[in-house]
Formats: sequence, structure tokens, C-alpha cells
Amino acid sequence: MAGFTLTQLCKSFGHTMVLNEISLEASDGEFVVLLGPSGCGKSTLLRIIAGLEAQSSGSVNIGNRVVDSLPPRDRDIAMVFQQYALYPHLTVRENLAFGLKMRKESTAVIEKRIGDAAELLEIHELLDRKPKELSGGQRQRVAMGRAIVRKPKLFLFDEPLSNLDARLRASMRVELKKLHQRLGVTMVYVTHDQIEAMTLGEKIVVMDQGHILQIGTPDQIYHHPINPFVAAFIGNPPMNLIEGSVHLEGQYLEFHAGDFALRLETHAHIETAIHSDSAVLGIRPEDIKLDIPSEPHLTLSGFIDVVENLGGDHIVYLISQEQHLTARTTPNSRRRAEDPITAYVPLQKLHVFVNQVRIPLELYYH
Amino acid sequence: MTKPLPERLMLLVGIVFAVLGSLLPFIWFVLTSLKSQIQVEAIPPTWWPDGSLEFYYSALFDHELFNYIWNSVIVASATTIIALVIATPAAYALARIRLAGKVWVLGGLLCVAMFPQIVIAGPVWQILERIGGLNTHWGLVLPYVTLTLPLAVWILATFFKELPVELEEAAQIDGCTTWQALYKVMLPLAAPGIFTAAILTFIYAWNEFFFALLILTDPAKQTLPVGIALFQGEFTMPWGEIAAASVLATLPLILLVLLFQRGIISGLSSGAVKG
Ligand SMILES: Nc1ncnc2c1ncn2[C@@H]1O[C@H](COP(=O)(O)OP(=O)(O)OP(=O)(O)O)[C@@H](O)[C@H]1O
Ligand SMILES: [Mg+2]
Repeated sequence: MAGFTLTQLCKSFGHTMVLNEISLEASDGEFVVLLGPSGCGKSTLLRIIAGLEAQSSGSVNIGNRVVDSLPPRDRDIAMVFQQYALYPHLTVRENLAFGLKMRKESTAVIEKRIGDAAELLEIHELLDRKPKELSGGQRQRVAMGRAIVRKPKLFLFDEPLSNLDARLRASMRVELKKLHQRLGVTMVYVTHDQIEAMTLGEKIVVMDQGHILQIGTPDQIYHHPINPFVAAFIGNPPMNLIEGSVHLEGQYLEFHAGDFALRLETHAHIETAIHSDSAVLGIRPEDIKLDIPSEPHLTLSGFIDVVENLGGDHIVYLISQEQHLTARTTPNSRRRAEDPITAYVPLQKLHVFVNQVRIPLELYYH
Repeated sequence: MTKPLPERLMLLVGIVFAVLGSLLPFIWFVLTSLKSQIQVEAIPPTWWPDGSLEFYYSALFDHELFNYIWNSVIVASATTIIALVIATPAAYALARIRLAGKVWVLGGLLCVAMFPQIVIAGPVWQILERIGGLNTHWGLVLPYVTLTLPLAVWILATFFKELPVELEEAAQIDGCTTWQALYKVMLPLAAPGIFTAAILTFIYAWNEFFFALLILTDPAKQTLPVGIALFQGEFTMPWGEIAAASVLATLPLILLVLLFQRGIISGLSSGAVKG
């Protein structure tokens, strides 16, 4: 069966390096999400896997077969494009059949596969229409159908939901997840939407400027982001990041950012003292509690700047020791702007980054 | 949204003038072709013909018009087919492949298309003489293809450029080679462009006079424009026959355009991508 391996892929257009030493492994049936900001090289990477773009160096292996010299049609893959790319001169049925006809499948097989896909995606009534007679969501389904009927080893998706409205996107996301569970085929999914990445991915690959920053499960990426970039990219509202200086020595950690000062103890023992002026303290909005937690915690006092009511949640923007912080809390109608407030952060939930790298410390109070 | 009345009136007057202006000569020779010899020579000229078909008969049978029509059909069809077969892949390559100096190639093509014919007449004649192409149909088709290629390539390249690359990539992933992607997906979508290029090429070859006169001296080989121009007898100018022959020569073009107009359904590619 078919996982895939990318080995030290590099790609440059002229003198611009777009991908830098990309190595990645996915096991059979895994749902891999490539996540990163616009222009970071996600699509280029996907297109290299598909064979639509040639890498400058490095190697692509799909299902234990090096495919570097193979054209797209011989790689046994299917791709769903952001713009759908349905053949406008063919009906939906012919669109679905196209790839199978090219592969000289028998009419019976083609009929069966189209029937199955149409049932799975509920596009039976659309089969005799032309693409221009379909809505965006329907085109999306047909595009997926065209990929499914081929029964490829590997599915590639390039931001397939980004042209849909928010509601449809959410429901298609769920369907895509179901589809993956039913088909059990390896999928690579490109997106810059962290929610899609978190909800769909079994393995998330966070990229920036042609580099892989971190590879991990959604939980790993969310709870143990490797650097402030990943930390800020995942999560909504984004993680609070306080920039300051840090001093680590023996069992002590001291963090300063203007008025904001913190002195904590760690379980680790640091032999040689570390001092850095480029340190970041990260706190997720939902980790800022407005009720005293039982575990060891940090206490922040300040006042409320703005309260946003999301219905189920309140987003409270507060200012403490000159730091602007965002907290996500349960609703409480008595909170008003300018009110004094005391907030608490469990020490376990603090993220410490020194020189752009996460320091894995178990912190507690001195 | 309807425009205000004065604007619409101006538009209407403009259209009427443009149509009448370009149709007037045509109307005149249609009328002439339906007159009788006496009417043609009448002074002052009469406007309304009496509907005699004698000129048509004379043009077709006394002047062997069928022969010229047949020659024109051969030359124009061959030119169109050959030009398109060459122009299509060329235009596709120009539209798709990242190529340094592509702009210069396209610009050069346009320049070539604008050369005055007289400049190349001499060389063309010399080349054809050397390779034995004088007084043959292929000898005429050769310069026709050369002269129509730039425009055909230009038109087709414009069409190919507007087709989304993703369609081609989808086809490749679906199992097509580059060639298959071209003729199974891109060509059907570029059909309006292909029809346009084909019609323009055909019309050029059908109407071309200068090279035809230069290269074909044998009346059995001559095409319509030359044939008709050489109708004139020793002492008389057979205006009536010329008019009738001209009408007959124009009819196939009108038919062709009407026929292909159905094929030229623009917006064929809408729905391919979002929007
Ligand atoms: N054919 C090309 N020629 C030159 N540069 C290119 C080409 N294709 C992509 N690039 C550049 O490579 C970089 C990565 O592009 P890519 O399309 O992979 O980004 P992306 O992560 O998919 O972004 P987005 O989220 O906007 O789709 C960009 O800076 C882009 O300008
Ligand atoms: Mg992209």
C-alpha cells in the first residue's frame, strides 16, 4: 500500500529558493496537512509530489516507488484543485469518466465507479449537467468525485474549500473527514486555514518560507509548538506572545518584559546559565482563567480593555502590567470595559521560547 | 440597462451607415448581375434589374467558372488545413511554455504579417521557380500558409492563454500525455479561436489576388479572383458576367461564416473554474 516519502526536496525558480530541504514521511492511509501562510511553498510542494512541477533536487517516493522521472499520469495520484478545474465541455458524468477512459477501463467498470462515487457524494441528479450549471459547492463535489473514481494511491488537495462560503466550508470539512475514514487512502491537503488543519489532519506539517518548521499531530502542534511562529499560527484567537528577556540558571527561570516580571522554578537543573534578550512567553487565550485554578498558577492583575461576546464564549482583552492579553472565557454579563480584573494562568500552560526555540520545562513556583 | 434616446439614435445611424457603406458595392454588383446586357449598357443606368439570369449562365458555362471555383476550393482548403495544423501546436507552445524572448517571437510574427506583399513577391517567385512550384497549386499554398500563419498563431495563442492551466494539469493527472491534454481538453475549449483563425485564413486564401496572379499563369490552374479579373474579352468588358461571378464567389464565404458562427460559442469555457 501507499505511504510516501519526500527526501530533501529543494525547489528554486530562478534564483529564488521556494522549497528548502523538505523531508517528510507519511504512512499508508494517513491524512497529512500542509499548513502555512500564503506564499510559503505549499502548493509548489504538492505540485512536485503530483509531478506537475519538477524539483531542483531531492526525491519523491510514493508507495515504495521512486517517481521522480514519472509524469503525473503514471504516479497513480488524483488531485483536487482550488479552482476545481472541471472540464467545461463535458458533462459531470463525462468529467468523472474521463480519467477512467484514459486508463482504458471497461464501460461496466466506469458505470459502476461513477455510480458509487455519485452515491457517496450525492451528486446523482447532477450527472448530466455541465459544470457551468453547478453551484460552487456542487462543483467541489464533482471535483472530488473525479478524484475518487480513479481509486488512486494518493489524493492531493490544494485548498479545495477556500472558494466556498464559511458554512459550506464547515460541512464539506466534515464530509472530507468522513470520506477519508471510508476510503482509508493517503491524503495530502494544503491549506492556510489552521482550523481545517486541526480538524482534518492526522499529521500537520507547518511550513514557512520554504522550510518545514514542525511536523506533528494536531495536539502536539497545539500544545507543544516548536517556536513562536507555529505557536501564533495555530489557535484562534492566537496565542498571547510576550517578548522579553530570560535568565535561566540552576533551577531558576526569570522572565522580564518591562514591568512584567516572573520568577519560577523548574524541575530541570541547568548547569550553564542561559541569558537571552530574545525570549518569548506564550499563553493561550483559553489558559487565562478568571477563576482561581487549583494547580500552581501565575496571577495577573489589570483591567479589562474590551469584551467581545461570541455567544458561547467571551473574548476578554485585558491589560496587565502594560501587556495586552487576550483571554477566552465563559460568558459573564457583569464584565465591563475599564473594570479591574484578576486572571490566573496555570504554570503548566506557559510556553517559553528562547532564541525562537521552545524550552521544554516543567515550571513551578519557587 | 437601456441607453438614453439620443445615444441610441446615434448608434442606430452609425450602424446603418457602416452596414450600408460596406454593403453598397456588394449590393451594386448583385443588382448588376441580375440585369440583362441591354440594361447594363443603358445610359442613364437603370437601378432595378429585370431578374435575368443570363449573366450567371454565361459566367458559369462560357467562362468556365466551375474550374476557378474548384481551384479556389482546393487552394483555400489546403491553406486553411495546413496553416491550422502548424499554427495550433505553435500557438499552444507560445501560450504555455515559459520561454525567454517569447514576446519577441510574437511581436516578430505580427511584423511578418504586416510586410507589404510586393516586398516578398520577387523572392517568392524566385524560390518557387527554383523548386518547380510555379503554376502549381502547392506553389500557391506555400506562400499563403507562410503569410497566414502569423495571424493564425496570434489568434490561437490569445485563446490558449485564456484557458486555465489547471485544466491541462487535471488532464495530465487524469492520464493524458501533453498531446492528449491538448487535443482532448484544450482544443475543444479553443474551438471558437480555431474557427475564427480558420475562417480568416480561408477568406484570405479565397480572396487573394496578387500572388495568385503572379504564380498561376495557366488558366486551368487559376483561382477565382484571377479568373474573374481575366474575364475581359478582346473588345468588351463583360461587366455583367464579372458581377455574376463575383456573387457566386462571395456566396461560399457567406455560407461558411454563417455555418461556423454556430461553432463560435464564446463563453464555452465558463464554469471551468470558479466564476
Ligand atoms: N512558476 C513560478 N515561477 C516563479 N515563482 C513561483 C512560481 N510558482 C510559485 N512561485 C513562487 O513560489 C513561492 C511559493 O508559491 P506557492 O504557490 O507554493 O505558495 P503557497 O504556499 O501555495 O501560497 P498560497 O497559500 O498563496 O497558495 C511564492 O513566493 C511564489 O511567488
Ligand atoms: Mg497555493
